[in-house]
Amino acid sequence: MAVIREKGYAHWDGRLAERRCRWAPIARTGIRLAFRKKGFKFVFAGAFLPSFFALAGLYVSERLGDFKALVQSNRNLLEIDPRYFKAVFTNGSFLFLLILVLAYGTAGLVSDDIKHGSLQLYFARPLGKKDYAAGKMAVVAFFVLMAAALPGLLLVAFKLVFAGSLAFLRAYPWLPLSVLGYAALLTVFFGSYVLLISASSRNARYAAVLVFGAYYFSAVLAALLKSVFGTPAMNLFSIPANIGQAGAVLFGQKPPLAVPAVWSFAALAGVCALAAAVLGRKIRGVEVIK
Amino acid sequence: MSIEVKDLHFRYGGVVALDGVTMSLGQGAVGLLGPNGAGKSTLLRILLGFLAPGRGEGRVLGYDIRREQAMIRRSVGYMPESDCFIAGMDAVTFTAYFGELSGMPRREAMKRAHEVLFYVGLGESRYRLLDTYSAGMKQRLKLAQALVHDPRILFLDEPTSSLDPTGRAEVLDLIRDIASHKSIQVILSSHILDDIESICASVVILDKGKVAAEGRMEDLRAIRYSLYEVRVKGDGAAFRRALESRGCRVDVTEDRLIKVYMPEGSDRMDLFRAAVQTGVQLRAFVKSRTSLEDLFAGVVGAD
Repeated sequence: MAVIREKGYAHWDGRLAERRCRWAPIARTGIRLAFRKKGFKFVFAGAFLPSFFALAGLYVSERLGDFKALVQSNRNLLEIDPRYFKAVFTNGSFLFLLILVLAYGTAGLVSDDIKHGSLQLYFARPLGKKDYAAGKMAVVAFFVLMAAALPGLLLVAFKLVFAGSLAFLRAYPWLPLSVLGYAALLTVFFGSYVLLISASSRNARYAAVLVFGAYYFSAVLAALLKSVFGTPAMNLFSIPANIGQAGAVLFGQKPPLAVPAVWSFAALAGVCALAAAVLGRKIRGVEVIK
Repeated sequence: MSIEVKDLHFRYGGVVALDGVTMSLGQGAVGLLGPNGAGKSTLLRILLGFLAPGRGEGRVLGYDIRREQAMIRRSVGYMPESDCFIAGMDAVTFTAYFGELSGMPRREAMKRAHEVLFYVGLGESRYRLLDTYSAGMKQRLKLAQALVHDPRILFLDEPTSSLDPTGRAEVLDLIRDIASHKSIQVILSSHILDDIESICASVVILDKGKVAAEGRMEDLRAIRYSLYEVRVKGDGAAFRRALESRGCRVDVTEDRLIKVYMPEGSDRMDLFRAAVQTGVQLRAFVKSRTSLEDLFAGVVGAD
């Protein structure tokens, strides 16, 4: 071990600043740490696959004459409208890859801090619970927005480029807002969902499995309950179904479930409220055992 | 006064952790001493705003502990007792990160992190992942993150726990250096008497959530009692009983040295009178300087 005071202690002559975004260093560090994980870049890149396929479809739709033989049976799939965007961003493969990114990259956001006792270091700084939660939430938001909002807006832009006119935007001027609204919904929901699970466990691996498992288990549970009770309202127990329902509304499409869409929004909001309650209890500078 | 608290109460469910703690801490290194469960860590956590006292009030550097926690935390460095790090991070990033969270500009925080890591002796291993650090290195790292924003007060909670004798001596050396030269006030919480005795000028002894004694080490040693070490030939047990009947506390060491704690205001001639009364010969008589251990035993009643 090195000798103490190799260089000697010196006072710092700077001034501590009052930061407006105290959560920003937490967000930046969380994102950086996620990318340091082995293979995470590969997983993250995978989340863009559906968007690449969508981009290819978009290109083909503009060159139907060149790809006649290829698209004969799937012609209706290549009609580019809000339904196409809804199909891209609410389908199972996109959400699977997104969940994979979140489970691998962000499940340990709070659980690691609890496990390694670093919460007390955070709260020995001029940080509040809201700053901490906002910083961690921003990490999830970064990945969700990168996977959903950015490709969504780029697809709109490419559609205009490939078509060589603004006709598409004139027909659906609200579509970019739909993309942003849906991405915001995913951000708020998955931010709360991931932090809820992460704060509930001291083990990041266990939390990762839970992030992934709870999402799909909810769909299985909903299917079981629906078969037992025979009512479509049981679909509200399914996270993927609720996201699909909310996504359909935001993209101006007919909701797929036979229940009012507002119930799906309420179910998703319920998870967010639960997350807020759990985080309020779990995030503290000292673990109080009564 | 840098820290003042008045009538602080705190309980964990049904367990009383602090029971009317009132104290004022001035400049210099101050020891918070007490057996495990005395309320030392709870007191530090209340001062930092981690816990809200059930009753009472307090100020750290003039800032209210209930309402101005952010200002307190900007001015205070905290080294917790338990292990704490962020997995997947190296020491320099970790230290700079907490500097930045304290309000330091990013570049300054990084520069400063290098400095404090060299200061605590982690200069060579500052790019190593924290997951691979030994217990001693983690202890130094905790000190580094507490120092990075150049605090005015340093709260050290059991800083030498889980260290081997060499590591302990090195960390104590470091704390002594900070306390004596760097105009940073050190509040050292420990149940290890030697640590406090070797570093602190003042001490607050907590016992069962109450302040059992408080003041400058020298004053506390002087005012409570006088300590005499004597050796006798004859019936030591009778001699001991005679002294105890005169209000003295008597301990006998393994090598039959009798330590007599005479209460404030007692006459040392009582000791000779007791010897005459019980017919023992006094073979050695030394007025001893009381150690913190003696003081601790005197006020807490532990041997």
